[in-house]
Amino acid sequence: MNLDHFGMDTITLAGPLEAKLRAVRAAGFTQIMLSARDIAGHPQGEAAAIAAVRESGLRVTGFQVLRDFEGLSGHLHAYKVDIAKAMLRMCHALDARVLLVCSSTSKHATGETDALVRDLRKLATLALPLNIRIAYEALSWGRHVNEYPHAWRLVEAADHPSLGLALDAFHLLATGTGLEALEDVAPDKIALVQLADFMWQETRSPEERIETARHLRVFPGEGAHSAEVAELVRRLDHAGYRGDYSFEVFNDDYLQLPLAVVAERAHRSVRWLAGHVARRSLPLRRTLAN
Amino acid sequence: MSLDEHNPEPSNPLGMDGIEFVEYATSQPQALGALLQSMGFMPVARHRSREVMLYRQGTMNLIVNAHPEPPPGLAAPGATPALTAFALRVRDAGYAWRHALDLGAWEMPTRASAMELNIPGIRGVGDSLVYFVDRHKEFSIYDVDFVPLPGAARQPPALAGLHYFGIVQSIYGERTREWVDFYQSLFGFTVLPEGKYFGVLPKGTLLESPCRKFYLQLVEPPPGAEDIEWEERLLRVGLGAPDVIAATRALRERGVVFVDRGPVQPSEKGALTQIYLGGVTFELVVSHLRP
Repeated sequence: MNLDHFGMDTITLAGPLEAKLRAVRAAGFTQIMLSARDIAGHPQGEAAAIAAVRESGLRVTGFQVLRDFEGLSGHLHAYKVDIAKAMLRMCHALDARVLLVCSSTSKHATGETDALVRDLRKLATLALPLNIRIAYEALSWGRHVNEYPHAWRLVEAADHPSLGLALDAFHLLATGTGLEALEDVAPDKIALVQLADFMWQETRSPEERIETARHLRVFPGEGAHSAEVAELVRRLDHAGYRGDYSFEVFNDDYLQLPLAVVAERAHRSVRWLAGHVARRSLPLRRTLAN
Repeated sequence: MSLDEHNPEPSNPLGMDGIEFVEYATSQPQALGALLQSMGFMPVARHRSREVMLYRQGTMNLIVNAHPEPPPGLAAPGATPALTAFALRVRDAGYAWRHALDLGAWEMPTRASAMELNIPGIRGVGDSLVYFVDRHKEFSIYDVDFVPLPGAARQPPALAGLHYFGIVQSIYGERTREWVDFYQSLFGFTVLPEGKYFGVLPKGTLLESPCRKFYLQLVEPPPGAEDIEWEERLLRVGLGAPDVIAATRALRERGVVFVDRGPVQPSEKGALTQIYLGGVTFELVVSHLRP
């Protein structure tokens, strides 16, 4: 495990895309998680945003986020397939290998397993020719799927090489889902791990989870559950997961701070995690010493 | 269409029945045409509205597309001929197409002009397309869209019994499982057991069509190939011959040059032509398939 395994997420930082890319790079990170809004909302247009990402030299951890895809039918399904295809094209243009997909919150979506599995397989087949992997995440306020063991059962049943599981530490902590079920998850089927903590001991309602998730997350080592976050990373590392860890930190305060200050907090979080996780990390120490 | 025809055998969900045609795209159709003729293909018809030519030998149809205006989202033909499409014979092209889209295939852009057939198709690997054709028995798709060349034979015979045997596709490293899933789930291909190979290039993964009339070969980059340019695309066509030695001899007499060094030198199992026009090769494979 070294600094190259960790990335920042543009949603943590204020300002234009180019400034975010520079700040992340300057802090020593080599990868960045991008949001569709970074591209679609770029004042000079999509092509300029893609060029900025390429010029940054940063590897794209993944692209987010496709919402409310699975479980729909009829024209709602057809509409979401169109949206998915447009996002996959953007993802491909950015050389991103992972598209993050959150479990549906739609009241129009069924929770029937066969339908969810069929839709996830379809999405993975759409992603396949573009060399993109779908990372399916249980949103803690998802309508039917809101804990990772359920998301994993669907991913496992879909059994598609372009489909994997996304784990978000925040959602695990928010629902109080234990780490024991990780033993059932094949490490090579984990497509992305997102790390964040928060300040409260617990979030009691879906509304409180949404509020906390969108405004009040912090970096691992800064919150009330950091030991659990470190334990999550330790277990994944021990199980053989060698993919990326991305800091998925939505925080209103960080959006008011200079980018370098926030990026330094992210860097400190990597050091904190490295200190708490059994090390595969000589390169980490070297990188940090440099 | 009866109910039974919409519920075909699970082992061949689309009622697949071989390759109807393969298609190359090039901005230099005459150079490719000359190569094809030395390989035994004869020009038989020209498209009514586009710069597209139909070549044929025996059971094989081959289309050379030099039309400078591609459908939206696809590249115009370059000078180096590229293998850009293959067409599958299926029981019901419309059903096959909807089935593929339902499972997550990408629709291909349409481009038929007035009074032309709109052949349904999906996006395949890279910029390539996979078409579905069901009109290969009563009348052919070529009767509608193509005008026969004056004086040309309609059914030129196959040289040395040549027939379509398979298509080779290059894929990125560690992508075999993905492409196997693609061809299995959309079309019903099955993986041949490891170690079962044909021809002189024993590598990659072989998939057999559900009709057992042709093969797809998926080839990842060789180890240590980090520096070579490698992309996912259709690479070459494999031609089956009942007697490869005789076929090689007949083709050599027409000026075709085969690689004759190293492990791929011509043998009774197979042979590989040199690279023509910056990127076109044909592979011969011993085959007793009856297309």
